[in-house]
Amino acid sequence: MRFDIRYRTAFTYDDPVVESSNELRAAPASDARQHVLHYDVRTTPSSRLVSYVDYWGTRVDAFGVRLPHSSLEVIAEASVETRPTNVIAASPTFEDMASPAFRDRHLEFLERSAHVDWGPDITAAAEDKRGEHGDDVIGTVLALHRLVANRCTYTPGATYVGVEVDDVFAEQQGVCQDFAHLLVALCRSIGVPARYVSGYFFAYDESGADPAEDELEVQTHAWAEVAIPGGGWLGLDPTNRQEVGVRHIKIGHGRDYDDVAPLRGVYTGPSEHELDVTVQMRRSAQEQQQQ
Amino acid sequence: MGDIFDGYETDGFFDEAVGSDGMLRDHYRRLAERLSAFDPEELQRREQLRDSIFRTQGITFTVYGDDSGVERTFPLDLIPRIISASEWGQISAGLTQRVTALNWFLEDLYAGERAAINDGIVPRWLVVSADGYRRQAFGIPAPHGARCLVAGIDLVRDGDGTYRVLEDNLRNPSGVSYVLENRAAMTRVLPVVFAEHHVRPVDHYGQSLLRALREVAPASAGEEPQVVVLTPGVYNSAYFEHAFLARQMGVELVEGRDLVVDEHVVYMRTTRGLKRVDVIYRRIDDDFLDPVVFSPDSILGVPGLVNAARAGNVTVANAFGNGVADDKAVYAYVPELIRYYLGEDPILPNVTTYVLWDDDQRAEVLDRLDELVVKPVAGSGGYGMLIGPAATADELATFRKQIQEDPRGYIAQEVVELSRHPTLIGDRLEGRHVDLRPFVITGETVEVIPGGLTRVALRKGSLVVNSSQGGGSKDTWVLEDERI
Amino acid sequence: MLARLAENLFWAGRYAERAEDTARLVDVTYHTLLESTEADESIAWRQVLEVLHLTGPFETSGAPLERAEVIRFLLVDGTNPGSVVSSVQRARENLRSVRELVSSELWEAANQLHLELRARDVSADLQQPYELCGVVKRGGQTITGVAAETMPRDDGWRFLSLGRMLERAEMTCRLLDVRFDAIVDQPSALGFHAWIAILKSVSAAEAFRRTYRSSMDPEHVLEFLLLAPQFPRSVLFCLQAAESYLQQVEAADRQGRARRQLGQVRSTVEFAHAGELLAAGLHGFLEDLLDGIARVSDAVADEFFRHTPAGGLHIVAAN
Repeated sequence: MRFDIRYRTAFTYDDPVVESSNELRAAPASDARQHVLHYDVRTTPSSRLVSYVDYWGTRVDAFGVRLPHSSLEVIAEASVETRPTNVIAASPTFEDMASPAFRDRHLEFLERSAHVDWGPDITAAAEDKRGEHGDDVIGTVLALHRLVANRCTYTPGATYVGVEVDDVFAEQQGVCQDFAHLLVALCRSIGVPARYVSGYFFAYDESGADPAEDELEVQTHAWAEVAIPGGGWLGLDPTNRQEVGVRHIKIGHGRDYDDVAPLRGVYTGPSEHELDVTVQMRRSAQEQQQQ
Repeated sequence: MGDIFDGYETDGFFDEAVGSDGMLRDHYRRLAERLSAFDPEELQRREQLRDSIFRTQGITFTVYGDDSGVERTFPLDLIPRIISASEWGQISAGLTQRVTALNWFLEDLYAGERAAINDGIVPRWLVVSADGYRRQAFGIPAPHGARCLVAGIDLVRDGDGTYRVLEDNLRNPSGVSYVLENRAAMTRVLPVVFAEHHVRPVDHYGQSLLRALREVAPASAGEEPQVVVLTPGVYNSAYFEHAFLARQMGVELVEGRDLVVDEHVVYMRTTRGLKRVDVIYRRIDDDFLDPVVFSPDSILGVPGLVNAARAGNVTVANAFGNGVADDKAVYAYVPELIRYYLGEDPILPNVTTYVLWDDDQRAEVLDRLDELVVKPVAGSGGYGMLIGPAATADELATFRKQIQEDPRGYIAQEVVELSRHPTLIGDRLEGRHVDLRPFVITGETVEVIPGGLTRVALRKGSLVVNSSQGGGSKDTWVLEDERI
Repeated sequence: MLARLAENLFWAGRYAERAEDTARLVDVTYHTLLESTEADESIAWRQVLEVLHLTGPFETSGAPLERAEVIRFLLVDGTNPGSVVSSVQRARENLRSVRELVSSELWEAANQLHLELRARDVSADLQQPYELCGVVKRGGQTITGVAAETMPRDDGWRFLSLGRMLERAEMTCRLLDVRFDAIVDQPSALGFHAWIAILKSVSAAEAFRRTYRSSMDPEHVLEFLLLAPQFPRSVLFCLQAAESYLQQVEAADRQGRARRQLGQVRSTVEFAHAGELLAAGLHGFLEDLLDGIARVSDAVADEFFRHTPAGGLHIVAAN
């Protein structure tokens, strides 16, 4: 499926500010599941970009505006083609999961991190699911995914960046980042490598059906990927209660939100900022027919 | 007139000046002769001269928490440490070899294929879980691969007199200002003795450092790269050294707020506008260097600095993320890294070290905990250590528990009985334990500054050489040739 | 040179001068009031606070408007940012940040004065501030003298001196403003005593006498303190010196806003006539002058120091 994505962030300041310096992570990843046809970033006021691929494989666009400005707009436009996810044929056991080579390769996705720091309740819940599924890794992981999807209610504004996964687990509500962190935590708590994914999602309408129009205004999205011995990474979107598919466009992954935050930066000045983020996605019917 | 060494005891330790046969070592004979010619009043007079030199030159460090502006001097013992030319040749070759391999390792890790990991020389997990590992540093170029532009390698001598590496300091090693100031003072306090010894000079350090910094300047810098020293500021305990080095090199001493990044180019703010900066010798830790990619609440650093370096518009030395290679757990693998990258046997051995994530080694260590030294891998400056032979049962039990809970967090080492050196205590000489921190500069080539900072534990029997805990220092004389 | 260091030196110069001149102001006020009524005294101290723009902070402190209280507030009150001890402290802090650029003797002179003031038992000084004012004056002169003897004549020196000269010009204006009108109206015997005190407070009595012999005409006093081109505490002298420092720190090919404004202020003074000013009322003229100097100071900051932006560092994060 082909999508044209327009990501826009606009900062406005009451009084002019200076020396803004930022990193943008909004470019779709190129991997087996998606193919980037076009990507382009521009800012107003204009600035020179330094683009690089970071440690996790995500494209980063670094830019800054030194002189006084009262607003800063960043627009990233991408065209990307997605393919359906391959079905994982492997049926690994927890013994495979415990192999030193497998653990060594995934160490960074097994340990705690700033936003994935779980307590005993999460471990206990994960252990429960594992108990129910015996040695079946994929069965256990899917059960953990359902646990988050069924337990939690999507409630914008109920949480904030930096909320503890234990609180999300206890309060049973939050937004996509929180659910992704929670699923990652549940997996790691029983020794299953899992990572946080930032991306875009061409959403369904409120009834859960395919939207009538081909152009949507959405938000940046987050989900999780779980390492399956012999099967690569399994993408799971607890917010939308589904496995990752052609409507998911991945930007990048990391240990948690901090490694792939869409935009981070600083500026100097007297005032606080107002922030407006919009993501427009257009589905290209032509490409869809070709597939 | 007695010999100043009359009654001097080595007490069974390896002594720098006196052999196990009780005879002076050859390269200390002339010093002993000269010192014996001084009567106690003369020695005292020279000590007073030393004190007044230090005071008037303002070589001091501020005592924390004291607002009176009063500062103290770092005690310099009048008796220099002497290293013979041949011995130094060996040390210098060993340091060059070690720092070369460490630079290779860092370059491999941050800008290369990560071959040492892929080939199983250093465990991957050890690297990625190291405290000083900086994922933000990936892909940032380091001209000539000089990631540790300045390294301070702590050496000790064991009971056999073998020099061993105790610790690598690859981030912001300090102390070189004392080396230079000690030398400047000694040439005035003992001018004749000094002149007779044909001591290799150290006072070119500023020029050597500046040369290396210019060599690593980015291609965009042109003929006369603009170099600055970046300090956290006047309240930092090493501020004196930062200012000293800037002065020695004749370059600007700046704070983070003096610098600004525009279109990924670094400038300093002057009264006549912005002036481009090409090379930054930074003495601020990684985490505080750039709030965009490191700790976001840091106001010490320069927003955008890391990506300016990534764009090749400025070189930051030492490079970002060097802490991964002076992690004490990675330290244990340095001899292997030397063999791997250079195909040579290490000239300077490590102190015998046990890694505690290895089940067999851990079992042995827990068995002999009261005989060993245990160190946290990320620490420095002697904090959080267990010295087994001196520990109480409670301390041993606490460490036993900590090691079992976090085997990655600690290493264990055999106790090294630091060598001793004659030291002026009152008006006579007594043996005191010493170590040595030589400084190694890497630009296009590697240069070892002759000697280094000899630190001495002034308290009788103490092994602690840190200045904050009763340590002093000695001038370190590397002899030009074997004439003495 | 680095903008931050230039700014530190500029303010070190200003604060050291401010400490010294505040002490002079207290000293002269105290002395000219010795034979005044309590009501007059109260008015006079209120005027001192006003010219120093410290009326508000003094009222906030809650202290009664009495001599000892005002003196305490102006000399030793660490919570008053305009007090002598605060100024000395700030001068010291600014010098501390530029210790690499100045001689250790200069730092020691400032540190010495700071420590001396901190260690002093001030209860006696509040009744009789002469001695304390003397300590501060001598301390200030030591700082100025050591700076002049030990600093290379580079931009660092120029910014330090620029700060000192602008501050001194301001403080001489204030000194004139606070007491002049009151003294002009006094009977001549008392007036004579007061003029001497004013001149002494700026160490100008001898120089004045050499210029004007036995005359003690208010017009001459004003002319001397405002316009004497050779007396280093006259307003004109300070402005001319400041102008020359400013010219030297500018890039060769340009004349900045600060120097243009300073030139305008200087020429207002240069072509003023003491007699006319007295006839028209001095206060308005001095007010304008003070405003002009303040604008120059702002322009200096804009032109040379403001490469460091105002405001805090803010973190942004967008989902």
